[in-house]
Amino acid sequence: MLRDKHFWIVVGTGLLLGGCGVLLAVLGNPQNSGICVSCFIENSAGALGFHDNQRMQYLRPELIGFVLGSAASAGLFGEFRSRGGSAPLPRLFAGIFLIVGCSVFIGCPIKLFLRLTAGDLTAVAGVAGLVAGVWAGVRSLASGVELGPKPITGRGGGYLMPAFFLLLLAFLFVRPGFIIFSSQGSAAQHAPLLIALGAGIVLGACAQRSRFCITGSIRDTFLMGLRTPAVWGLAAFVLTAGAASGAAGRFNLGLYGQPGAHLDFLWSFLGMGLVGWLSVLIGGCPFRQLIKAGEGDADAGLVVVGMFIGGALAQSWGLAATAAGVPLAGKVAVLAGFLFLLAGSLLARERSA
Amino acid sequence: MFSDAYDKLLWLLLALAVAAIVLLLVVGGGPGGGKQAGLGKAVEREMAYRARVELIGKLYGPVETLRRSGNNSAALLKLDELIRKYPGEAHGYILQGEILREMGTADEALASFVQGVKLNGDYLDANSPLSRRDEIQRLVDEDAKSIGARAAANPDNRTAAAALQRVNYLKSRLAGGCE
Repeated sequence: MLRDKHFWIVVGTGLLLGGCGVLLAVLGNPQNSGICVSCFIENSAGALGFHDNQRMQYLRPELIGFVLGSAASAGLFGEFRSRGGSAPLPRLFAGIFLIVGCSVFIGCPIKLFLRLTAGDLTAVAGVAGLVAGVWAGVRSLASGVELGPKPITGRGGGYLMPAFFLLLLAFLFVRPGFIIFSSQGSAAQHAPLLIALGAGIVLGACAQRSRFCITGSIRDTFLMGLRTPAVWGLAAFVLTAGAASGAAGRFNLGLYGQPGAHLDFLWSFLGMGLVGWLSVLIGGCPFRQLIKAGEGDADAGLVVVGMFIGGALAQSWGLAATAAGVPLAGKVAVLAGFLFLLAGSLLARERSA
Repeated sequence: MFSDAYDKLLWLLLALAVAAIVLLLVVGGGPGGGKQAGLGKAVEREMAYRARVELIGKLYGPVETLRRSGNNSAALLKLDELIRKYPGEAHGYILQGEILREMGTADEALASFVQGVKLNGDYLDANSPLSRRDEIQRLVDEDAKSIGARAAANPDNRTAAAALQRVNYLKSRLAGGCE
């Protein structure tokens, strides 16, 4: 395995993700949120005017970088393929519920590990939930749950998402009036624009080359054990993030006083369980969906649209958890997510005669 | 993609549309053009915020006057009335917390600060004109140990447990992160 080039690309991506995850927080992003796809989506949805939480509106350059970096890398290496057409509506709703699960935990799977490696013990419930969710997803796939037929290639739908993010990039620099930027709250905390964008582009390109994905790494470990490069990529990410947190003086072991965390462990478990399960069925965590959308996968693009809707609803309907805990609406939304998942699995299952 | 006349027509229309957008943005973007809506939105938000700060100053001015004159009990009575009248306004709870802390009732002060911060996170923002971050940080630093010790010594004491929970909540909010 050590002689395999792909192995080193995966490990390199893990190292970069861990390093950037801490560095971006040191440079100004909210603590333990150097990289958090769900927080960034909620911020960006707010910047586009989809919700009115004045503390959560900022067009995060990292998010734009992920998609455009992936598109550039896919184009450069001849891997950009416009494709799509598999179960569009279930994927849209999966995107919505991915963000619901993340917002109840307060963070995507990347932030989950950033929180854990910064000493936040409340994240342990989330890790357990994510692993359980991925395991349930793997079992679902093995039992014949399949969202839809293989995507059709050759259509132009795959260009839409990179084009949309190119437009967001233009908005970021031109700053037209309808784009809203918070002057207070966590969205007002951000790393310098060009550094954040650069980090996003590099990470997007590396993730496209390596196919790195948090839930994918856990899934592959269930299926192949330590033989899969993905698990070493995840290990590199966790070790780098832990070392960087320590070096930056941001390691604070404990349950209390942790940034962006709450003590509703059951709901952290269920929120991340929902994210893990959904991610396996749709082929990747929120970060991976952005990367796939960048390389022409219109199905992943639709998940990204769903994630924006989810980000808006999480704030507008008060679903998102805060340090105060998980609101009732958030708990109901997570359970609704499981209803969607279970009913969808029943309907989408291919049963052998 | 250039195989027949229809393709060519589509490309031509596409080019025209792009040119029209560029022209509109360049010509129509005149002085302030494109940014006008944005400026309006930003100014609107700033005005609303300033108006709120001013309204707070007026509403709670009598309380501040009573406080300055050392009449904390009367200030608390007046605050009680204002909190009943404006239950969604955080400022009353924050003032109540400050006064209760001056009077040496740490547990009640904590409860008021928690209520205020839950209603409005601006009080924890260092840059907000309403910021009480330093006061809340001091309160948490000074009270965390004593309340923790009290809760540990009396595990059945629900008041101490609730106070400890409030300190932990404020610690989490002070720690920041994406909310």
